[in-house]
Amino acid sequence: MDRPARLASTDEPAVDRDVAAQHVEGPTTSGHHNVVAESSGRSPRRPGRTTSILVAAAVGLVVLASLSDFVAKSLVIGATENAALVLAALGFALLYRLTGLLNVAYAETITLGGYFAVWLSSSLGWGFYAVVLPAGILAGLLSVGTYLAIFRVAKRRRVGDLEMIAMSFGLSIFLRHGLQFIFGYQVQFFDIAPPDTISVLGVGVPSFRLLALASVALLSILIYQFIQRTRYGLQIRALASNEGLAQASGVRPLTVTLLIWFVAGLAGGLAGAFYGVGSSVSPLLGSRQLLLVLLVVLVGGIWDLLGVVWVGVATGIALTAMTLQFGDGLYSSLVLIFAFLAVLKVRGRRLTAGTKV
Amino acid sequence: MSLDWLDAFLVSGTFGVVEIVGLGLLLHLQVGLTRIANFGVVGFWGLGLYTFGVLYVQVDWPFGEPWQFLFSALAASLAAALAGLVVAWLIADLDSDGALVGTLGFSAIVLILATTQDQLTGGALGLGGLGFPYDLGTTKANELLWLALMTALVGLILGYVWWVHRTPYGRLLIAIGSNEPLARSMGKHTTGAKLTLFAITCGLMGLLGAMHGVMVRFLDIGSLDVGITLAALAGLILGGTARVWGAVIGVLLTVGLFDIVIQFYVPLPQEWFTQAIPVLREAVFGALLVVVLLFRPQGLLGQMRRSKLIRAMHDG
Repeated sequence: MDRPARLASTDEPAVDRDVAAQHVEGPTTSGHHNVVAESSGRSPRRPGRTTSILVAAAVGLVVLASLSDFVAKSLVIGATENAALVLAALGFALLYRLTGLLNVAYAETITLGGYFAVWLSSSLGWGFYAVVLPAGILAGLLSVGTYLAIFRVAKRRRVGDLEMIAMSFGLSIFLRHGLQFIFGYQVQFFDIAPPDTISVLGVGVPSFRLLALASVALLSILIYQFIQRTRYGLQIRALASNEGLAQASGVRPLTVTLLIWFVAGLAGGLAGAFYGVGSSVSPLLGSRQLLLVLLVVLVGGIWDLLGVVWVGVATGIALTAMTLQFGDGLYSSLVLIFAFLAVLKVRGRRLTAGTKV
Repeated sequence: MSLDWLDAFLVSGTFGVVEIVGLGLLLHLQVGLTRIANFGVVGFWGLGLYTFGVLYVQVDWPFGEPWQFLFSALAASLAAALAGLVVAWLIADLDSDGALVGTLGFSAIVLILATTQDQLTGGALGLGGLGFPYDLGTTKANELLWLALMTALVGLILGYVWWVHRTPYGRLLIAIGSNEPLARSMGKHTTGAKLTLFAITCGLMGLLGAMHGVMVRFLDIGSLDVGITLAALAGLILGGTARVWGAVIGVLLTVGLFDIVIQFYVPLPQEWFTQAIPVLREAVFGALLVVVLLFRPQGLLGQMRRSKLIRAMHDG
């Protein structure tokens, strides 16, 4: 682990590092200070027992799926069709937990991922697998752009929490409608050959949905490892816990913050591309998913980023199971919204406060 | 009296502006005074619209007009007020993030119910059969009188908001918006005040929805999109969230500009009005929210007089 001196910024205002070091060495056993302390040399947190329990539950479900057709369908279709939801929630959670901003305009990052993928595919003639990553990177860059152009300025001008949400709502609407002047009013489709179907537990799954699921798994592991194990990850958590103290400890806030926005945008963009190839791309692509993403992030965030992944997967499976049962996806959404709102009420302020680092 | 000189679209455009002014005034009490982030205005308005429409069309009332309208509108207002009470209870102890999710979740529930309960609501196809509770002979005359009634209702809402600003209840709402824990520590029942606020304001939003139903005479799930919330919020924030007249000035400058001035007085190609202008309208409202909140978050009219006085006392 690097020492504070090696984390020192060269472009941030000079601070009294001795004082900072005293803070870092101070009350580090609990609260916000421990993350800053970690960033300056303490050992990182260990993942909790929750993950092990959830892994065991997942294994149990797979065993059950081999016995029941309904469970198999719910599990396979739910996990693969809604992999994009998990990706989107992961990116949103990263931004929310680490910057504290509930960015409604994240919906348009998802939408843009879809539009970028269609545009790259049609203009360059590339297949879906070739355009999905560039589309994600473009969405990540746009995410960084919105931070630099708007949210950074707002933070410097000390815009309040409620106003920040209203601003992101305004940006969301602006992008949603502005996009139509650039990409057209019509719903767009990928001009690609039908994907191969692969049998999983006896259920046929299009190959790009398996790719989405693999992306979720890979990105989840990478982000988790990045946040929990790397020097930049520690700096991100330190910055989220106590910005002033983190800066005093030598964390470069701009670089770290840009990194958060890029990774979040990348995840959102990938999600948009996967949503788009599964159905179509339209200006409402992201906003239709936003509420579910918000709810998954708030409920899953009770634990940590992996909690978001697990709640996202569970939500996808529950949605599919209910849709298979009721025959209408809207009823499934209705039940889930009620369930999530009940959690929101039971957890109260601890929910929204707890989902931030 | 001949109304040939009057453009029918001007009446409906003005009705839309007056309606959004009403919603903006009610939102002012929620967001401006109490600082509760209600991003689900369309949910309460839509619940009023659909409750009214379904009761008006689907129930075999034993009496005629105007009682059919009055009972349906009263039931719509009560349904919206009850929903406001439940949502307020749900988000009472949450911060702005929780309030956003709670109110957005509620508006999504209303949209899903309006879509899925198609035997009652007509679903995606819509539901006709609504009408005015009177007949003056021509549609234009009926609409003009309905516009006058809507203006009177919004005038009453303006009076109510003005009155709230000058009562102990209004001062409690301001205290909740400024520092709720402090207000609670002074012995004020803040949760009760928030529940009352949501019940009254959401009930009135529902009534505005019912009035809208009569004017358009058709239930359409397309009206339950984010447009209504955006228009009310953009107008309120441009005018000034903390001032009584903020919503009035702001909505006139935003919705009034697009739905009346550009619609009727700017010579643009007719085909633009089908897609380009509505899309541009929403994009401009969104951009306006960003720009105003970045550079003049207190809006055109600025802060409350009370805040200015307190600042002047501190300064001097």
